Amino acid sequence: MKRFIEATRCGVAWLWRHKLRTIAVITMFFLLAPKPVRSQFLDPCCAIMAAGLNTIGSTLSSVVGGGLNDILSIEQDISKFEQTIVWPQQLINQARSLVASMQGLFTQMEALMRLPVKSATLPATQQFEQNLLSRDPNQIAQTSAQYLAVYGGVPDATAAAPETRNVVDMTDAAAQAAMKRAIEIDALADLELQAADQINQSIATAAPGSAPIIEAQADAWLVRANAYTQSATADLMRVRAIDLADQSATVKAGAANSSAIQQQIYNLLKRP
Amino acid sequence: MAVLTNILFGLFFVLFSYGIAVARTRRQLLALTLAGILAVTVAGPAPAQAQSSLVTAIQSVLNVINGKIQTALTAINKVRSVIDKYYQEAVWPVALINQARALVTQMIGQYRNLMQSILNIRLNSATLPTPVALENIMRNHQTNDLGALTTSFGNAFGTVPTVPAASPSDRAMMDMDDALAMDNLKTLKESDSADDLVLDAANDIEDQAAQAAPGSAPFLTATAVVASIQSQALTQKMLAAELRQEAARLAHENTLRKRGASLTGDVSSEILNLLEKR
Repeated sequence: MKRFIEATRCGVAWLWRHKLRTIAVITMFFLLAPKPVRSQFLDPCCAIMAAGLNTIGSTLSSVVGGGLNDILSIEQDISKFEQTIVWPQQLINQARSLVASMQGLFTQMEALMRLPVKSATLPATQQFEQNLLSRDPNQIAQTSAQYLAVYGGVPDATAAAPETRNVVDMTDAAAQAAMKRAIEIDALADLELQAADQINQSIATAAPGSAPIIEAQADAWLVRANAYTQSATADLMRVRAIDLADQSATVKAGAANSSAIQQQIYNLLKRP
Repeated sequence: MAVLTNILFGLFFVLFSYGIAVARTRRQLLALTLAGILAVTVAGPAPAQAQSSLVTAIQSVLNVINGKIQTALTAINKVRSVIDKYYQEAVWPVALINQARALVTQMIGQYRNLMQSILNIRLNSATLPTPVALENIMRNHQTNDLGALTTSFGNAFGTVPTVPAASPSDRAMMDMDDALAMDNLKTLKESDSADDLVLDAANDIEDQAAQAAPGSAPFLTATAVVASIQSQALTQKMLAAELRQEAARLAHENTLRKRGASLTGDVSSEILNLLEKR
């Protein structure tokens, strides 16, 4: 501590002895030292800046603020139009509730079409009818055997002419195929009803923007359903065509039989 | 930049102070002081032209606001106005929306009751009590009297004969024919009833369409398509029933052909035998 006081005393004495040098150093220090910030009350720059900022503020307020207000007004107009005219929430909810009530109608329709209609009374026919009304494609394998049990098979070669056997076999084939197709169509229709239920349930929870996507899927299902209907119609036409051919074959066979019997009687009568 | 300035200032000040301290003569001191002042004057930063550059900067900001920003805002405003007008006049004009709703309402009034009344015209034509009963049950659109249909059918068309009265193959064929005929009559009662529900669905969707908005209509079209799928499925079930029926008819005729073939053979043999005996 004593050393420090002694050094300070020496320093001050040195400065006193070299007053001129000290003044030069202090003057240079103040010349070079960083300048303080100018006061806004004394500096005209600040007044100009304040006036400029005020002008910028008022310009921003009128030009930018006014423009934004105009845009806001239009946006509000569009928003109101969309909410009241285009997508009113109340009508959207109303449509959703209609979709939900449709589901009730669909369920009733499906229940109606599932009511049992079987009516056969004999064991073989009951079994066959059960197969035909089963809606189960896995049971198609048993259809032919049950058909034969009810309607009989193709006569033996000794019991009928080859032409007759051909017609009988073809007609049986067409009838069996139609019955098998009926089982398939029933099963497909059940699956379509199931899919329709799923689609309808998803519509009930859709948004206006997603409903068209579900509608597109429903349209695809409708196209598919039309194809199945066409397929069933085709089989109906096939079975009717075979029916017509069957009737024609009956007439042909009758003509041939009449001619043959006539010839045989004539031959017998010619005998001495 | 400020740090660098401070370092340079410190360095210069230390060197200058050292020079002043070590100067031996007054001449040296004076020369060093003048050199320092000269250095500060030459190397020190020139005073900034604060006032004129500030005005220029403010003016440039104002120019940007009044120029680019105002132009951009005006353009956005114009575009939004055009979109608004396009929505209201071209895409969703309220007048046309109301007109569409009015058309739906008008068509409901014009067609619904008329078509329903056409569909409700009674088609019953039987005259005797038993067929009248069967016809009534066949066409009543009810599904809770399927048992009564079996009874009425038996009354009108008879039942399968007992064993001594008909051969087993005939009995099987008759029973199968009757069964499929009754199955289809029952299926038709079910589909008639389901058809009523399909019409109800169509009416409900149309009623809702009469007050729909463009944004709620997709729900209605989607559920209408689903109803169409349901209707197609019912049509397919009816087609399947018709297929069964046609197939059974064909099988029936074919069975008669099989029997006819064997009978023809038997009769031919008998005739030949008789004629040969002569």
